[in-house]
Amino acid sequence: MHLIIRAAGAGAGMLSRLLAKNPNNLYDRMEKDARVRIVFTASSEEEAEAVIFVTPDPVELVKGASSAHNDITQYINDREFVVSSLFCTYIRSALGTALNGKTKEAYLPWVERKLALELTFGPVASNLPDVVLEGLFTALGYEVMLERGHAGYTFDLKSRSSVRYIRLKGMQTLQTALRQLFVLIPALDDYKHYYISEDEVDKIRRYGEGWLEDHPQRGLILKRTLRFADAIRQYESLTSGGDPLEGTQAPDEASGEMAETAEKEALFPRVAAAAAEAGAAPKVRLNDLRYAAIADVVENLSLRRSIVDFGSGEGKLSARLSSVPGVREIKAVEPSATAQLRAMDRFARLEGKAGVPVPEPVTGSLFYYDESLRSKDVMILCEVIEHIDEYRLGRVMETIFHEYAPGALIITTPNKEYNEVYEMDQEEMRHGDHRFEWSREAFAAWCSRWTEAYNYSVRLSGIGEFVQDYGYPTQMAIFTKEDTL
Amino acid sequence: MTDRQEGQRVIPFPHGGIVVLVGPSNSGKTTLLRRLVQEGVLLQTEIVSSDDYRTLVGDVEYIDWKGRPREEADILYGDYQLLSNLAFEAMNTVVSMRCRLGKLTVVDATHLQPEYRRKYIDLAAGHDLPCAAWILDLPEQTLLERDKSRDQPRGRQRVKQQFVQFKRSLRGLRDEGFDFTYMLKETESVQFIRKKNPLLAEIGAGVDVIGDIHGCYDEMLELLGRLGYTPDDAGLYRHPDGRTLISVGDVMSRGPKSLDTMRFWKKHCDAGTARMIDSNHGWKIARYLSGRQVTLGHGDENIAAELAQLALEAGGEEADALREELKQFLLSAPSHLVLCREGVRRVVVAHAGIRDEYIGKQSKRIQDFCRYGDTDGLDATGAPVRKEWYVEHESGELIVWGHDPRPYPTVVKNTVNIDQGAVFGGSLTAYRYPEQKFVSVKAYQDYARDPDSPLIRWERGRFSPPNLRKLVEGYSVMTDAYGEISVRGEFVKAAIDTVSHFTIPMEELVYIPPTMSPAPAVSADEAYLEHPREAIAYYRSQGVKTMVAEKKHMGSRAVLLLFRDEAAAVPYVGRPTLGTVYTRTGRAFFGKDTETEVLSRLSSDLHQAGYWARYDTDLLLLDAEIIPWNLKARELIATQYAHVAEAAAMDREQLLGKLREAENAGRDVSGWVQEMEGKLKNARVFREAFQQYCWDTSGLDGVRIAPFHTLAHSGRTFFDQSHLWHMEHGRELAGVSPLFMETEFRTVTSEADEADVIRWWEELTEDGHEGIVIKPETFIVRSGKGLIQPAIKVRGRKYLHIIYGMDYLQPDNLARLKLRKTGKKERHALMECALSVESVERFIRKEPLERMHECVLAALSLESDPVDPRL
Repeated sequence: MHLIIRAAGAGAGMLSRLLAKNPNNLYDRMEKDARVRIVFTASSEEEAEAVIFVTPDPVELVKGASSAHNDITQYINDREFVVSSLFCTYIRSALGTALNGKTKEAYLPWVERKLALELTFGPVASNLPDVVLEGLFTALGYEVMLERGHAGYTFDLKSRSSVRYIRLKGMQTLQTALRQLFVLIPALDDYKHYYISEDEVDKIRRYGEGWLEDHPQRGLILKRTLRFADAIRQYESLTSGGDPLEGTQAPDEASGEMAETAEKEALFPRVAAAAAEAGAAPKVRLNDLRYAAIADVVENLSLRRSIVDFGSGEGKLSARLSSVPGVREIKAVEPSATAQLRAMDRFARLEGKAGVPVPEPVTGSLFYYDESLRSKDVMILCEVIEHIDEYRLGRVMETIFHEYAPGALIITTPNKEYNEVYEMDQEEMRHGDHRFEWSREAFAAWCSRWTEAYNYSVRLSGIGEFVQDYGYPTQMAIFTKEDTL
Repeated sequence: MTDRQEGQRVIPFPHGGIVVLVGPSNSGKTTLLRRLVQEGVLLQTEIVSSDDYRTLVGDVEYIDWKGRPREEADILYGDYQLLSNLAFEAMNTVVSMRCRLGKLTVVDATHLQPEYRRKYIDLAAGHDLPCAAWILDLPEQTLLERDKSRDQPRGRQRVKQQFVQFKRSLRGLRDEGFDFTYMLKETESVQFIRKKNPLLAEIGAGVDVIGDIHGCYDEMLELLGRLGYTPDDAGLYRHPDGRTLISVGDVMSRGPKSLDTMRFWKKHCDAGTARMIDSNHGWKIARYLSGRQVTLGHGDENIAAELAQLALEAGGEEADALREELKQFLLSAPSHLVLCREGVRRVVVAHAGIRDEYIGKQSKRIQDFCRYGDTDGLDATGAPVRKEWYVEHESGELIVWGHDPRPYPTVVKNTVNIDQGAVFGGSLTAYRYPEQKFVSVKAYQDYARDPDSPLIRWERGRFSPPNLRKLVEGYSVMTDAYGEISVRGEFVKAAIDTVSHFTIPMEELVYIPPTMSPAPAVSADEAYLEHPREAIAYYRSQGVKTMVAEKKHMGSRAVLLLFRDEAAAVPYVGRPTLGTVYTRTGRAFFGKDTETEVLSRLSSDLHQAGYWARYDTDLLLLDAEIIPWNLKARELIATQYAHVAEAAAMDREQLLGKLREAENAGRDVSGWVQEMEGKLKNARVFREAFQQYCWDTSGLDGVRIAPFHTLAHSGRTFFDQSHLWHMEHGRELAGVSPLFMETEFRTVTSEADEADVIRWWEELTEDGHEGIVIKPETFIVRSGKGLIQPAIKVRGRKYLHIIYGMDYLQPDNLARLKLRKTGKKERHALMECALSVESVERFIRKEPLERMHECVLAALSLESDPVDPRL
């Protein structure tokens, strides 16, 4: 990780003075566990160049790394090499005088003077596309040159290198140029080594003074440096200037792989159109419709004291069901600890509400047997079965009907026919993890298989916006245990 | 303790429980107890006295109100009543706590009222302990005389009053519910002795616990022979080391030779070389022989038939004598046995199971539990609920039990079931302790011929989903190789999530490849972090003479489970499939289409080569490395290794250029230039290192599978085969399919071999290969008490750049990296090895899914427990 500052022409000789470094000496200090060095390759009055580079201790750097990433990537990563907030931290004290502008009185006039600067730094690991990256600096009046790393391998691996080298040219005071880099280098980098504290907000405010307020990409810069809405709001209130932030999120360089969205329904025009024709209220998410429909079914069951919500995820449905009158116990069964933690936050908010049972998070899944789930009044599999390979589903259902034997079993699953309404391809599924999606006929046939084998009856219905010939987006089956008398 | 004299009355103490003294003041209760303490029969702490507790609670043991004016007497009497009540409350709390610990407590108070005595009867029964009454019945005259010489005489009137009360209460006392009552007219000539707990036994030279025999006498004799027991001149089977035989009960009924078997156990128990505990069939037969009205069923009728036959052959008298003998024998069988070593409870033998709080105690409730197990487990429809007492076993003893037949010894939470349904055509099992080994004999036939036998029902439930409650809060697996392995709840939960979301179906996840440690010692050579010398030295120090050194391919670990055809998979995994290929974390190795292609390709190659027929097997289970590395790790290589290589090269190239400029400009940076040249070289080595393991593939072209362990065929695992066999089998497979490749290896026995292997390793690794793995000749090797590492990896100097970073060889970095600690990695490697062997064994024995999965889940749980991934 390094930064090269080059000054040419009038005042170039001032570079070393503004940096408060004797160009004939080598600067070599330890900053935390990193060695920070500065050497001048030139120091005449017309041309001066300082090379600032940092060598972190590779052994110390990976010590005590977070156990959340307990794999080799914790040890083999680019932190040792690329410019980042870490780099800025290391070099801050070496460049302290220049950053503060508190130089010797004799050189003070030069603090305010613009010099013909060339700033070179890298390597940069950033997912911002070239054009966005360039834009960040051209907006500040620099000429930008980008260089990519070397990405030729003996086998087909990548089309271009994932590291870049940046060279900026422009007229700027040394202090402002450095301050710009201290804000923009962390913004470019894909990774942050610190938690966002108030100090950080203050630092951005100080370093950004006089240029960041009016930067056209201010929103993007803040988002990438401060990351959290609270911190950004705090910054905004401190500076109380600039346009409100909007539309500033630049696409990732690797934009091909969009994060998997749970629902595609929200994006589809024909549904919206259908809703509009029906003069419907603003579109409610299908998820919420499902929860409401299930709560409705549960409320109309005569036996509804105890409920098992299988695959409860972040606990939205369980929390919703806790307010259904007559429900006394909800077991929210979910294998993922991360989801379960979020569910627990949600459930904690129900604590202390009169007459509302707080759902109990239970670690578990349909592939295991849990005797504590036997003979409950209601068992719910909301958008669960389609995540199970069809050939495994039989055994799962055997366990439910034979071992758990709930009073009622509610199952929801996508209606494949409706995908056409969403203008999806024939073979496309609504979620990457769906193992199947069934037509209404297939689902009905599957349901009757279970009513034939077990003493249950079934009622089929749908959830969401009905479209003629396609049905509802979600299918629902309500199995009820027949009296054995 | 005084010697017992002829004709002297002897009264035994129960080993635990409550002894209630009954007798008016001055009847000599305290004096008697003082004597027993002096004799050493009783501990002072085993006595609680109402007098003492009155003093403890209220500073005085008695409040005298006689001779006071009426008003004062009333107040004082009231005070005394209150004091007494509180003293009893405090005392009974202590008695109750002592009962919880199973201790003996003697209560020193008058206990003249039946309701006072009742309290102790209930208290003892509530803790499954006996309650005895010792009644001191002395003449009134004696009482009155003694009262006069007391510090605080109770007074003539009160003594007389108590005496009348005492005499009145004597009448119904025997029917109050005491387990024992003793009437004592005097105590001087009586000897009191302490009884030992009859349920306790010493482990001594070791025990062999035999599972449910059910009259399978011939199988039993064969089993005894295998255990090393031989008959002496008197026909008693003895073990040369003096081991003890123990039966878990149900030695009779259902099978062909119940009488012979019962006679055998009676004879050996009488001789003191064996113990047999009570059981459901034993109790039924005991009552039958006692002449009680019982309906004989479930094979108990065979005994009546055998006895009738005996009467016919040997005469009614002999048959009656045997009936009487066996009756006494069965009635005296203890509910369970607690086997101790140096006074510490280690093993509990109970027929159908036991609750922790019952261990070492005996009561009707406990006897019933030990005979029948947890019987309140029926749901509304009358079907048995899957409620299992052993799930709640938390105390440290190992519980050995039978009663509930299953095809293989089952270890759950420190309990071992050894009923393998011999009479249903299963096998007869012996459990050896302290060796913790199973020895079993296959039944000669299915004697019971029950179409709904427990073994048949077991087979039907093979693929029932695992019981989450047994696992989720942490559990332990008893492995053959390592003994008990415990995993913590937090890691189990992470593993359950993995299995529920990401892995292949648990029925097909039969084995998790164990992790492997480098040698405990780093290289002594300052130029290396790892070197074969230390690995070989490790094995030599553990007494290993022959080692196998195998080339370590740098690709991705994979497990291949292949079936002869789709139908052959059904008995093993419950669905038709050609097999599966999965990663070391249990995820599918290939995408669906590629997997299908790989499986059908391998299937057809194996068929063509006649592999299935040659080995008469339906399945082939392989542990392998699939290369190239980029096949599976492309994303990781691109975003981590290549990215880091590009960053490092860019940084160092640019800096080197600038430093040279600075040098030309006259700065004194020659040291820095040199440093940067070295570092740039390191970056280039790093960049080259990972490219060694990568090449382009197209479909299956360029993909190679290198099996290094052939784990199993139908009905057979190969953990008993040497690694030379495994290597040769790998070579054979390479001849069968072009997808397979063999692995180079060397054998190490001599010093010359060692030098040869080091040379080979140097060549390989200098060429950029990952390194080698050194293994002892056999799979599982023990040294002293423990298992030793089944394999040690020795990675090459170049390869380690991609593990420890490109500058790891710089002396100050290397010196610090050499401080690494491998302890946890080694422990995990041993445990995972034991678990993986265990799960494959269980899979091949077609044990229930739950039994296999508990091993797999434990291995996955260990993998969620963080260990330095660079090791």
